[in-house]
This record gives sequence, structure tokens and C-alpha cells, in this order.
Amino acid sequence: MTQLNIPIESTTLPNGLRVVISPDRTAPVATVGVYYNIGFRIEPRGRSGFAHLFEHMMFQGSANAGKMVHIKLINSSGGVLNGSTHYDVTNYYESVPSNALERVLWLEADRMRALKVDDENLRNQRDVVKEEVRVNVLNQPYGGFPWLDLPPIAYRNWSNAHNFYGDFDDLDAATLDDVQKFFKTYYAPSNAVLLVLGDVDTDEAIKLAERHFASIPSGPQPQHADIDEPPQLDERRGVVEEKFGTLPGVAIGHQAPRRLTPEWYAAAMLDQALHGGRAGRVYRRLVLEQQIAVDAEGGIHYPVGDLFDYNGPTLMVTRILHKPEYSVDQTIAAYDEILDEMKEKGITGDELEPIKVKFRSNYFSMLEGGHGASIPRYGLMHLLACFSLFDNEPQLVNSILDGFMEVPAEAVQSIAQKLFTRHNRSIAIRQPAKKGAV
Amino acid sequence: MASVPRSETPSTIPALTAARPVIWPARVHKTLSNGLEIVLVESHTIPKFTGELFFRSGNAVVAAQAPGLADMTATVARTGTTRRTSREIEEDLRRMGADLSSGAGADNSVISFEGLVDFSNELLGLVSELAQHASFPIDEFERERRQLIEGLRIERTTPGFLASERMRRVLFGSHPYGTISPTEEQVAGYTVERLKDYYRSFYRPGNALLVMVGDFAPEKMLERIETIFGSWVDVPVEKAADPDLPDLPGRSVYLVHLPGSVQTQLSVANRAITRKHPDWMKLTLANSIYGGAFNSRLVMNIREEKGYTYSPRSGAHPLRQHGYFSIGAAVRNDVVAAALTEIFYEIDLMRSTPVGEAELDDARSYMTGVFSLGLATQDGLAGQLATATLEKLPDDYLETYRERILKLTSADVLEAAQKYFDSAHAQIVIVGDREQIESQAAQFGAPEVYDAQGNRI
Repeated sequence: MTQLNIPIESTTLPNGLRVVISPDRTAPVATVGVYYNIGFRIEPRGRSGFAHLFEHMMFQGSANAGKMVHIKLINSSGGVLNGSTHYDVTNYYESVPSNALERVLWLEADRMRALKVDDENLRNQRDVVKEEVRVNVLNQPYGGFPWLDLPPIAYRNWSNAHNFYGDFDDLDAATLDDVQKFFKTYYAPSNAVLLVLGDVDTDEAIKLAERHFASIPSGPQPQHADIDEPPQLDERRGVVEEKFGTLPGVAIGHQAPRRLTPEWYAAAMLDQALHGGRAGRVYRRLVLEQQIAVDAEGGIHYPVGDLFDYNGPTLMVTRILHKPEYSVDQTIAAYDEILDEMKEKGITGDELEPIKVKFRSNYFSMLEGGHGASIPRYGLMHLLACFSLFDNEPQLVNSILDGFMEVPAEAVQSIAQKLFTRHNRSIAIRQPAKKGAV
Repeated sequence: MASVPRSETPSTIPALTAARPVIWPARVHKTLSNGLEIVLVESHTIPKFTGELFFRSGNAVVAAQAPGLADMTATVARTGTTRRTSREIEEDLRRMGADLSSGAGADNSVISFEGLVDFSNELLGLVSELAQHASFPIDEFERERRQLIEGLRIERTTPGFLASERMRRVLFGSHPYGTISPTEEQVAGYTVERLKDYYRSFYRPGNALLVMVGDFAPEKMLERIETIFGSWVDVPVEKAADPDLPDLPGRSVYLVHLPGSVQTQLSVANRAITRKHPDWMKLTLANSIYGGAFNSRLVMNIREEKGYTYSPRSGAHPLRQHGYFSIGAAVRNDVVAAALTEIFYEIDLMRSTPVGEAELDDARSYMTGVFSLGLATQDGLAGQLATATLEKLPDDYLETYRERILKLTSADVLEAAQKYFDSAHAQIVIVGDREQIESQAAQFGAPEVYDAQGNRI
């Protein structure tokens, strides 16, 4: 096995901002990220969708860089930029030729220091966000299935259960005052981590980080939010109408273990056994062999997150589109057989060893690329950020694989027995409004 | 621990420092005696490698008989060989820590793969088997056919797909490029024999290109490839026909009625050029200024100023024989006419007024920078190499790309806009709920209306 030895240097500025540097000088490009320890889970009540709307506002202007300056400066330096809102973090990132590094840090520092936006900006981005929701959810077949369908079925705490993209009434109700309050509460340096990766010298990058970020005043730490769920006692089910698509959909979610626990490592191997592509048991059985489904995939914290980027309750999800000649109950029964077999017979070493090889291989690819195809090392940045904000230990990137490679076969069976119970699961059904529109 | 910070943070924008040069990794480019063309580049970012085995034939070559047949052939080719069952293939891939996919577009078919370098021999062996000894099991074929039909039904409810489908038909008519997807009846007409015919005819080394990037020594890897692929037998391959393109009318409007749409997908396009055309770089630079970047005029106008849409973009799309320039935006139903007005306003501005030096400079930097970012990962590098080699562009195409961009002038951009952003002959496709948008569409010409199945209504 290849032991990972990614160079990682980290420090904390006096104002509480964590800084993580990971140099690699093979190509003259650098990736910079700023992650804030706030996601859509704990946005204010009555303001569903606000964390994401706020993310848009962070591109609308800061103290010394007005509207459009961020985008213009990054693009005209030969770089690309974006941001994204997750359950528990929100990120802002840029990839640029490395000669633009200081410029990027200046921009990120400027918007960490002070947001300078007006009502016009808010109205504009509210409209943009509504079109984003329409293009991704309301006007697409299977839009939001199951990432927006499952939470209200599976959870009782509003933080975990609400519409993360936002009800339009809530988006309309958002004010500039909300924006500044949210910024003050959650965007303090001590609630963030700055990451610099790629073609940089470590000492120089730390000096640049100090130059631009150290004078940002520290703010109070946000209060700890209650995101706990009361114990689940029964299976939960809900039905959502599918306006466009022609096939019925079923998504089954089981409450997943907390990160970094022994059960979590085992659950990751279980997940790979079930959802590891066409060799995984779910796809093989439901799509290739029994041919009940035309598609079946899933994962832990799927589909808008992964094993590493959650810090509260989440689900191991399987998403199935099945043929209309099978009922929902028949589909779920076939799925249950797969789970029951895992619970009863477990997994042999002959199946588990290749799963570990594949897991390791996937991990390497994630480090290099990850979800942002045009952002070199997006995945490494994302992992470093989550390990910094959630665990205060970015070095886990180098050692975390060991825990997965050591999972014994018996642990996979045990965690299957523990997770796959009726009272630990929720089911979202997408029912097509029109049958086989041909 | 951090040192004591300065009390003041600079309030002015830091200048760019001196750019570090892109160091081009050594490249091996060789053609075996059976005609297989090979491009290998080392990249040690992770202990893996990525590869693509292309065949320079795709759906276009069989469009007249069976649209989509090349894609179906590629799909079923990965489900069985004379030596391995479907399940063995999938489990072998997992054992090697590998991923593999196959498919075909208009011009090419491809088997894409990536895996751990420890297993590179075995993975190449499997790829070679899929390319030479696929067995096309009948039950796998029937299963894939049903999945394809279900997938097509869902695509017919997807605004983006419906817009592309109609636009390609409008731009290219009965030319193979005019069809992006088969009908259910055409899929029902596929047979295993036709797939095997396609496979025997076009999966040949003289028609193939193998691109690999990864954590290996190229010379050693070349030896392995010669051992594994050297005995593959070549036969000459028929080229895709290039029938005449339809004469395009002046600006015309086509409306695809998708009842219940809460948003409207707009597409505006002209036929344009291939990557080999001398104007290609000029067109891409003009596109980047118009609507190809976040910082472009169209995005600033209809997103950042007016809030009509989330992700408006334009693009120059090169196919092997022809190309097209298109603009896409999913907009609020009540601003269909307003958004089209702005799209045309920005086109006409590009056609009439030279771009200023500052904006030009920004756009050139953007193009060259993004190009460099694309070289920093194994996948990115493989993609660039494939683009350059598949279309047989000059050997130094990638190495000289940035300097050629930097030489382009405002006059070049104006020329490209005048030639290829042809507002008077632009074709407009609108996908949405007819009741809500038809009167707005009509302001740009009497619409031809279609249903989601492609029937004129």
C-alpha cells in the first residue's frame, strides 16, 4: 500500500482564523479556499434557504471590492471561482495561476472583513437563486430527489428537516438586516479556515495569510446549535409527486453513524459493498440481475455530500428508479432481501479486500480532483477543511485511510445489523403524475 | 505560531507576480505497425493513471440506418467478452481499484478507464479484451435496450435535452449531426447482429487512439502496450458521410411545448466552424467575452444586473465536420422576450463595436489561465491531449496555445463576431409552457410549435 505523505502545515492566527497550507509545485497553479463552519442545517427559522442565498451575497461586494470585482479579478487573472453551501459548511474557492495568489488572498480577506451590499444586490440574487431552484429542482425530472425529499420525512428537528434550498416565501422575506446579522454571527475568522494548496512556498503562504487576514477583528464564537434528533421509533414514509419523469422512484435512508467512530469506518465499507458501482450488491441485484430497477445508487450523506463532510445526523441513502411494472412494495422487498442477506451472512474477506482496494483508489482520485472538475485538488481542500473545522486535525488526511483498511469483515456485518432496522429508516417515494407519457 | 500581524491590511489590489512557466511533461507519441496511435504522458500527482481508448467513429457513421447505434454498441461492449462474464468484468475492475465506462458521441466511440498503477497491466488487458473480444450477450443487450428506452422517456421531459435536440435538428437537418438521440422505435429496431457489425467494422487499431496519463514511466508503459495491443488486426474503416447541410432561413423561432414548465429554456444558435478552422481561436476568444465566462457580458447583463437567470452561458461547439455557436439560459417565464432582447443586444454590440484593450486583455488572460488549470490533473491533461490528437491538430498545438491566444487582437474578435454571431440568421429554440410564453416568443418570429415527442403541433 502507498502510505500517504501529503505535506500539510497549519497554524492559527491570533484572531482565531485557522490556516492550512499544502504545497505541490508540479504545476504553476494554486487553489485557495475559505470554509466557514456554517451550512444550511442551522440557518434561521423562517428563513429556509438563507445560508445559500447568503453565499450568493458574498459575491456581491465587500469593503474594498464592489459588486463584480471578485469575479472580474479572478477571471482576468486567469482563474475560476465559485462557492457552495453544504449541510455544515459553506465554501468559497478559487483556482488561479500561482502568480495571482496574493490577489486571491486579498479578495478573500476583504470579504471576511466586511460585506458591502445593498437592497438592489439582495433583490437581484434572490431572483437568481429562484431560477437556480427552478432549473435544478422545480423544472427538472426528479429534481431534488431525494436530497430535498428525505429530510422532512426522516427528521423531527427543524434544523435537519427543512427545505434547504428555501421556500420562496422565506427567500422573499429575507432582508439586508438578516444578511448583516448572519455575517456577524457566522463569518468571524474564528469560525473559518483558510486553505492554500498547490504552487506555493509554505512560509511565504503563511506570511501572506498573516498580512491579509491577521488584522480582521475576531468575533464571538457562534452559540452551539442544537441539531440533535429525538430517537426514531418507527419507519417513516412520505410520497412526493413527480411532475415530469415517467418512472417511479424510491429512496431509502438509514440513520448513519457519527464520523470518526469505529462504526463509521465499518459503515463506509458496508456502503461500498452495497453502492460500489456496478459491482456493488444493490446495482448488481436490482438492475443487472433481477432487472426491477433501471438505476440504483447511493452512499453515506448521498447525494449532496459524502462520508467526510457532515457533522450531525445524516443518512445512508439508496436511490432507485424502478420499472413501472413493479410496485413500490415489490421494489422495497427486493431491496430488503439484499440488506437481510448482508445482516444474516455478512461479507467474506474475498469480497471485502477488493472493496478496500477500490475505496483506496477512490480516495486518491478524490484528493486530486473531487467534485469541482476545473479546480485542481478540490477534494484535498475539502477534506482538509472538514478535518480542520470539525476535528481540528487536518493531518487526518494522511492517516484516515488506515482506519478503513483495518475494518474486519465481522464489523461490516455488525454495522449492517445495527443500521438496517425498520425503526432506523425513512422512505421517500416519487410518484409520477402521468403514466408512461409516450 | 503566527508572527505579530501588521496593523493595516492593504486596501489596494495586489499586483500579479511574475508567472511561473508551465513545464510540459515529456510526451510519447507513437503509432504501432497495426495503426494504433498512442499518446503517453507522465503525471505523478497520485499513484493512479487514467486512459481513453478512442475510435474515430461514432453515431454519425450509422445515423442513416440506426441513430444511436454506436452508443449502444459501446454500452453493451462492456457487458461481456469471450473470456469474462459481465459480473466478472465488474468484479475484476473493483479488484484493480478501477473505473471504466464506454459510450459514443457523434464522431467518436470511447472506452474510458482509470485505476491504480499497481494494476495497470491487468487493466490494460481488460481494455484490450473489451476492444477486441466483446461477446455481446443477448440478455445484456435486451437489458441495456430497456434501460435506454426508459432513459429516453425521461430525457423527453428534460428542458435542456429538448432544447438541444430541436436546435441540432434545426441547424443540421437530415445531416447526421441533426439527430442527437434515437427514437424508441429506432431502439426497438436494434439487433445484436447490428451491434456486432458495428463493432467489427469500427473497433479497429487503425481507427483508434489510446491516450494515457499517469504515474508511470512512458517508455516502459509503451512496451507494455505494444505487448498487449500489438497483435490486434487492422482492417480499413469507412468514413462518416458528410451530406449537404440545409439552407438556414433568417431568424426563426421554434417552440417546444412542455406543459407545466415553471421556467423557460432558451437556446439561440448559428452554425459555425470546427477546431481545425483558422478562425477557431478567434471565435473562442469572442465567445469568452460574450458569454463563455462568469465575467462575460451576457452573464453580467442577464444574471448580475437583471436577475433573469441562474446560469446563462454561450459556447463554441466543434464537431468533426462542422460546428456551431450557441447561447443557453433557463429564464423566468415572464422575461422570455426581455431575455432574448438582451441576448441579441449583446450579440449586436459584439458585431458592431470593437472590444477595448482592457477587456480584451482580461479575456486573453482568462483563456490562457484556464488552459493552465486544465493541465494540473491527470484527467485534465488527458482531456487536452485527446482533443489535440483526435482531431489531428499540429503536434505543438497545446504548447503554443497560450502564445497564440495572447496574439489575438480586438480586430480578430470583431471579425469572429461578425462571421459567427449572426443575429440576422440566428435560430431560436424555446422550451416551456406554450400558454405562458408563446406571445413573447412571437415577438421574434412566428413560432413553429412542437410537442415533447418532436411532433409539429
